[in-house]
Amino acid sequence: MSWPTTKLTLRLRLPATISAAVGLIAVMAAVGALFPTVGHTIGKINVPKGVSNLLGGGDYGTITGWFRSEIGAIYGPLVIGALAITGATATTAGEEEDRILALVLAHPIRGSRLIAAKAAAIAAVVLIIAFATWTGLLVGVALGGGGITIANMAALAVQLAFFGFATGAVAIALGAGTGRRSLATGVAAAVAIVGWLINSFAPLVGALTWLKYLSPYYYYAGRDPLTRGVDVAGVIVLGVVSLLLTALGVVTIERRDLRA
Amino acid sequence: MSAQPAIATSGLSKDYGSGRGLFGLDLEVEQGEVFGFLGPNGAGKSTTIRLLLDLIKPTSGSARVLGLDTANQSLAIRRRVGFLPGDLALYPKLTGRAVLDYLGQLRGRVDRRLRDSLAERFDADLDRPVRQLSTGNRQKLGLIQAFMHEPELLILDEPIAGLDPLVQQSFHALLGEVSAQGRTVFLSSHTLSEVERVTHRLAILRRGRLVVVDSLENLRKIAIQRIEIEFSEPVDANEFRALPGVTKAHAEGRTVTVGFEGSADAVVKTAAAHQVRAIRPREDDLEDIFLRYYRERPE
Repeated sequence: MSWPTTKLTLRLRLPATISAAVGLIAVMAAVGALFPTVGHTIGKINVPKGVSNLLGGGDYGTITGWFRSEIGAIYGPLVIGALAITGATATTAGEEEDRILALVLAHPIRGSRLIAAKAAAIAAVVLIIAFATWTGLLVGVALGGGGITIANMAALAVQLAFFGFATGAVAIALGAGTGRRSLATGVAAAVAIVGWLINSFAPLVGALTWLKYLSPYYYYAGRDPLTRGVDVAGVIVLGVVSLLLTALGVVTIERRDLRA
Repeated sequence: MSAQPAIATSGLSKDYGSGRGLFGLDLEVEQGEVFGFLGPNGAGKSTTIRLLLDLIKPTSGSARVLGLDTANQSLAIRRRVGFLPGDLALYPKLTGRAVLDYLGQLRGRVDRRLRDSLAERFDADLDRPVRQLSTGNRQKLGLIQAFMHEPELLILDEPIAGLDPLVQQSFHALLGEVSAQGRTVFLSSHTLSEVERVTHRLAILRRGRLVVVDSLENLRKIAIQRIEIEFSEPVDANEFRALPGVTKAHAEGRTVTVGFEGSADAVVKTAAAHQVRAIRPREDDLEDIFLRYYRERPE
């Protein structure tokens, strides 16, 4: 690890992270404030199962289902995934394509330590967004009249953090492993989006149900943290995958040529 | 001079296919030397530098820098080397000071007073974001980061690109001081004029292969010299073409440009038969040295 690198990477990512965190809290407050007015009405609408699954399978008529659909299913993972992926890609392949990495690596620091330090900074970005999600839930649920325990709100934030680690780690592995920004961004985003679609639709087709186990989304929200609390197994799977992918990026940058 | 070369390569190669890369480079740069590394764009200069810093792996061959193997001891090498890349890029949102702070922290021990004195010497602005700096001012930051830890070996790729003449002068003076302290400078460039004032020896690289390593003085002996002679009236260039040593001559208006080897005596005496308004020496062109060298020792 290189603490100066972690600090610098975090410093460069902080403006976007703070903006996203503030925006997230504001949106969640607005979502919570809307629930007493429209939640019960929307809850009576009969939504097809596939669409319902895309929105987290929640019952809009309850505060838990309302937040699961509005924040848990789409907005939360979208924000945390986008920040993790863009941050991880920019700090690895982005700096390499911008020719900054060649100068940095001409200094006495191993590529592996550099990438590990950058991954730590991206993990910090993810934690800030996860904390903002929890804060936003506290505010939003309070404005919506309550009904979700603080622990379960924290559980969603924890699951979301591990989802962010995993998507960020895909970008770290590909960004550090190939030095190609578009490849790292594209594949990591595809993993998140396809994972979301698989998790939503695979359960509708009996023979394809098993596909959901390939989706990071399943390990993030498959057991509904807003109702059941932290899914330890899901967290462990996402954590292990994140560590393995980060290790892959750390190892491969040492073994390949830096791109011109 | 120390017995151990600052840089020693043996059959160093990096094959990118289609004839691109570096092929069988055998080179020795002595410690304390200011060594020019010349070649046109795409000749393999930057590839050589990246190999020396272990930023890329060789296809074959090996290199030692300051006595250390680039494949296994690159970290120790980088600790003792200052590097300025030819295509310098820095964090655009950070100020020059923040960039230098970070790079200094990666080195672990950088004397801020030395850094600040270099900034003063180059008249560098450390308080503006890099993205607001001109190419020349960014280059100053590149030079400061390369020199600020007093490295034993400086590897500088196109160092004066974008620098104004005053800063170039400061840079050349600094190179002189560094050389006087027994430190080594490896100066890569595609223009002879960038290196000729300061180098002891130079190598010419072309299409990935080493063409020649020699002192500038010896290279000049085989170089074609050129002068421009401006007359009061138009003069026929054929008068000069037949002279001994003259390789080419052409007239444009009242000016005749003559390329010649060895003594300028015959050219000057022939010109003196006319009314001469001015005689201007033309820079020896690097390409002329290439061509002349190829004629004598074809690949």
